[in-house]
Amino acid sequence: MVMTAAAPAAASPAAEPTTAAAPARPLSRRGIERLDLLLLTVEALDYSGGEAMVLISDQLGFTELFPNRVELWKRRCHNPLRRNFRRGSLAPAETDALIRILCVMAERLYPFLHQLLSRSEPEDLTRERWDLFRARLSELVRERMNLRRSGVQRLLDPQAGAPQRRQLIQSLALVAGSGGVERMRASLMDADG
Amino acid sequence: MFATPSAMKKSLQYDQQSCRLTLEGLPDLSAGQSGDVVGILTGWSLAWVGRPEELEGRRDHLQAILQVVLPYARLLLSGVPRRVGAAQDPAEIAPAADGRHTLLLRSSQPDVEPLELVLDDAELADLVRVLDRLRLDPRLQVDLPVPPVRPLRAREVQERTPLPRRLAGVVGGAAALALAAASAWLLPPPPAPQPVASPTPAAAGGAPVPPP
Repeated sequence: MVMTAAAPAAASPAAEPTTAAAPARPLSRRGIERLDLLLLTVEALDYSGGEAMVLISDQLGFTELFPNRVELWKRRCHNPLRRNFRRGSLAPAETDALIRILCVMAERLYPFLHQLLSRSEPEDLTRERWDLFRARLSELVRERMNLRRSGVQRLLDPQAGAPQRRQLIQSLALVAGSGGVERMRASLMDADG
Repeated sequence: MFATPSAMKKSLQYDQQSCRLTLEGLPDLSAGQSGDVVGILTGWSLAWVGRPEELEGRRDHLQAILQVVLPYARLLLSGVPRRVGAAQDPAEIAPAADGRHTLLLRSSQPDVEPLELVLDDAELADLVRVLDRLRLDPRLQVDLPVPPVRPLRAREVQERTPLPRRLAGVVGGAAALALAAASAWLLPPPPAPQPVASPTPAAAGGAPVPPP
């Protein structure tokens, strides 16, 4: 599996209508954790994911919110699982922008997501793809996350972390494209009310 | 010269790796729609790669699929997959035992057995994508309402945490409290307070003062 995606095409979701309004309140701690982990999963699937996120952010018109990669990184550091955790919360507009970036990235990577989830692919090849994904995700997690947190340790565990890794890939497949924005937003706000 | 209905017939197609959804219909001229849009749905079909079954139906059936598949995907996203659709509904979807998903479609005609499709995660994601594209397609101007997407309540999300893990905090807290209470018995009792005698002048060290 080639885990490098081409330069992002025109980011359609910005132009397409959505029926749900942007979140009115900041994301919970759990919501930020999930959002950042999903973005990290995108980076594990796409070696140039970090640069692609900035490019897509510009295409979607979020240049003011995230003028460069560092600003994007700073927002993601509100994830309490991060090694460089920054106190505070994401503003609703920032949350919305990150969700839209995530859905566009998931759409670009959809063929890879499909390969990982499909049962009609050769079993050996699927296992190899999952091993490659796990290795890359573990590398990124070790680099950026606080390894003393039990949630991080579980994700790194080859066996115990497998359901969570599958859940991350499945989530990306179910929110790929503009149709997934509302679903993702609602899911990140679970149990907030 | 008037256009015949067959000449005005329009087809919309949504493709994914494992399925293809095709809609057929006509523009609703009474609503002032142009020839590029579908305002009246006359039929649809859903074909799967590697499966002989091709689903076909009317607008109601497509509506029924939308009503169950998208909410099911929403639940799956939160890690709490469960059955959507009731036994009397035309469509129903539920998690299967092996991690797949069973989509059950019931015909409106009597004596027709329900059609069961078992989808893996990739096929389900493809179905969700074609349905998303359909509902966001500006060329399709048919009212196909879907249930509103909302965050789940805490009680609904708790189901995704296994019971032992949910109870771990409570049991741990109770055990810590019991241990603390038990350890209190091991502490030596504090000495009993000595009665304090009221100070007398003699005890105060002063000489008795003779009365005047």
